[in-house]
Amino acid sequence: MKNETKLIRAVPAVLAALALVLLSACGNVGGSSQESDSGGSGPTITIGSKNFTEQYILGELYAQALEANGFNVEKKLDLGSEQIADKALQNGQIDMYPEYTGTALVSILPYQKKEYPDTPEATYQVAKKLYAEREPADTMLTPAPFNDTYGIFARKEVAEQYNLKTFADLAEASPKLTFVSFSEFQNRSDGFPNMKKNYPALNFEDIKIVNQLGLRYQGVFQGDGDVGVGFTTEGQLNSDELVVLEDPKNIFPFYYPAPVVRSDVLEQNPKMKGVLDKVSGSLDVETMRELNGKVDLEQEDPEDVAAEFLQEKGIVE
Amino acid sequence: MGEALALLQDLSLEEPRLIEWDWIAENFWEDIVPAIQGHIYLSFVSVAIALAISLPVGILAARYRKIYPPVTFVTGILYSIPSLALFSILISVPGIVIGATPVIIALVAYSLLILIRNVVAGIDSVPAETIDAARGMGLTQGQILFRVELPLALPVIVAGIRIATVTIIGIATIGAYISGGGLGKLIFDGINRNFPTMVITGAVLATALAILADLLLLGLERYLRPWARRRRA
Amino acid sequence: MGSILEVLGRPGFSQLLLTHVELSALALIIAILIAVPVAIAVRNTPIGATLAINVGNIGRAVPSLALLALALPFFGFGFTSALLALAALAIPPILINASTGLREVDPGVIDAARGMGLSESQVLSRIQLPIAAPVIFAGIRTSAVQVVASATLATFIGGGGLGDLIVEGFQRGDTAILLAGALSVAVLSIITELGFGGIERALTPKGLRIAQK
Repeated sequence: MKNETKLIRAVPAVLAALALVLLSACGNVGGSSQESDSGGSGPTITIGSKNFTEQYILGELYAQALEANGFNVEKKLDLGSEQIADKALQNGQIDMYPEYTGTALVSILPYQKKEYPDTPEATYQVAKKLYAEREPADTMLTPAPFNDTYGIFARKEVAEQYNLKTFADLAEASPKLTFVSFSEFQNRSDGFPNMKKNYPALNFEDIKIVNQLGLRYQGVFQGDGDVGVGFTTEGQLNSDELVVLEDPKNIFPFYYPAPVVRSDVLEQNPKMKGVLDKVSGSLDVETMRELNGKVDLEQEDPEDVAAEFLQEKGIVE
Repeated sequence: MGEALALLQDLSLEEPRLIEWDWIAENFWEDIVPAIQGHIYLSFVSVAIALAISLPVGILAARYRKIYPPVTFVTGILYSIPSLALFSILISVPGIVIGATPVIIALVAYSLLILIRNVVAGIDSVPAETIDAARGMGLTQGQILFRVELPLALPVIVAGIRIATVTIIGIATIGAYISGGGLGKLIFDGINRNFPTMVITGAVLATALAILADLLLLGLERYLRPWARRRRA
Repeated sequence: MGSILEVLGRPGFSQLLLTHVELSALALIIAILIAVPVAIAVRNTPIGATLAINVGNIGRAVPSLALLALALPFFGFGFTSALLALAALAIPPILINASTGLREVDPGVIDAARGMGLSESQVLSRIQLPIAAPVIFAGIRTSAVQVVASATLATFIGGGGLGDLIVEGFQRGDTAILLAGALSVAVLSIITELGFGGIERALTPKGLRIAQK
């Protein structure tokens, strides 16, 4: 009995000691905030990103560019989906993160209309306006000049067999094809229902749901499916074995990447705009696919890929 | 540029290697250690808070039996909500800080049922005669609780702590899905980036951590109860 | 509430529900087919039984997500991969209970039976298994409830199931979809718990039930 009584007395003391020890690990929890070592003595900007490859790269690109221009940067590059990232932005946990014009309208901003704007520029302007009307206000900066939207791709033999070049061709051939998709695409108004609305002949023999980004490509490569849906900037789309189908009617909204910054932070640090714009302007579809490919296909670190690119472009020495 | 594209096309058909030890070596301090630290932090804080709640509630429930069924009911409901859903729901609460907090709240919620049940069971297991004897010796309620009931209940309580801790370490891996940090981050990032090394590192370390905690607490349990046979699952 | 019902009425929902149930049921069956024979094999050897119980105990500590994640690099994505991982997760509680249950059968009763001329397999089927049945079944019940909850995570390796719904609801910020998924899993796990609990009670001979109380 004496052992047990001593133990009970010891418990609060042990817990307290543990708590103290673990508080030192506090900084490493949740959002993996990383201090930069090479940052200047300038103001601190916290950059977030969502948790897929392109987001990691964009986050790193913006972060490293800002660092090279005298800012102190903290990175929180794993904020899940736009729900989390936006929340973190609104409650001040981050100062900015790379969003997409289309995504902002579809998932974040109070955009009520049934149809999405029919040019990339219009999409950006509407998003920018709605962001500015928020409380606290945000500024969506100039988008990078490329569209990361849904990409419908087919295995090369399939494309050749059925002469698939556009969505219209796909709709015609669909009753003999298997489509590898993901649940969000199937159920979102801008996704599959949108395709069906515009191409009523669309009627796949079978639809398989695979929710992991990279795995859909595997499915189509291996023949589990003939056609799949991914995103137009994914590295895999540069492959010889795949044909990306054309969307002449532009049925999908435009998803141009653009940094979203808290307006008050931007006001205090006007220099940010120039730096971020420069990075955005240096990107295009091919480049993004290549950068994404380095991470997804060659297992390089997003940080290194971004650093290499910035040096190549002369944005960072 | 053309060369890079050609290389990419070749590589895109190759499977990534299972374990790239250079990645592990290069990123050990930057990615792996913070993940381990974060995971231990999440787990310990959650167990501590859960215990701080469960001990008093359990003691009260053992005394005033009427509150035990509703307490079991509420904690039982919390336990049956799938962890993924509870995490996601907590994020949408206005004002919630992204990071460890929502994860800890959920982890605490999950472990209340088992801890409270074991506190009650432990106190129940103290023979009535022992308590009578203590009363007879003139001990007050409080003294009986701390010097007789709790020490005798300790093995059962520690058994509950063991199960709760292992469960928490396991579910904490899912917390990375809502940016809670921890070893799950390596797992999810690895899946998203098609990078098996990260996935395997995160999964193996999380498993090791859980087993380690299990064995340590099992040792403690045995130390407190050397005479007892292994209990049923 | 109405919007939750809308989600449940979706054509895709029944497929998700079906996949979830299939994953859980098949994983459980595979686990039983592995764990029970193993427990039977080691029932009369103290070292073997202890080993089985220890392995089971360690196995219980393995985080579900970790095991599912490990299946990915080795078995790829999809239903089969998730099934294998979930089956592995389902084994420990059954193994522990089956081994313990068979070991705890009163040796005196077994001796008496042997003395009466019963063969080993008769001792197993007429004495050991019936006596151990309630304990074995309790392990199956625990495992079943655990598997139904863990199957939610199959979504991360493309295994399908109700986790898909939860993830979709979360990604889209759509609470109705999220809750539809969450409630479905919760209801499924409660049904599993109650259903197996009922069978367990039916299996427990009245005398033992009173003794257990």
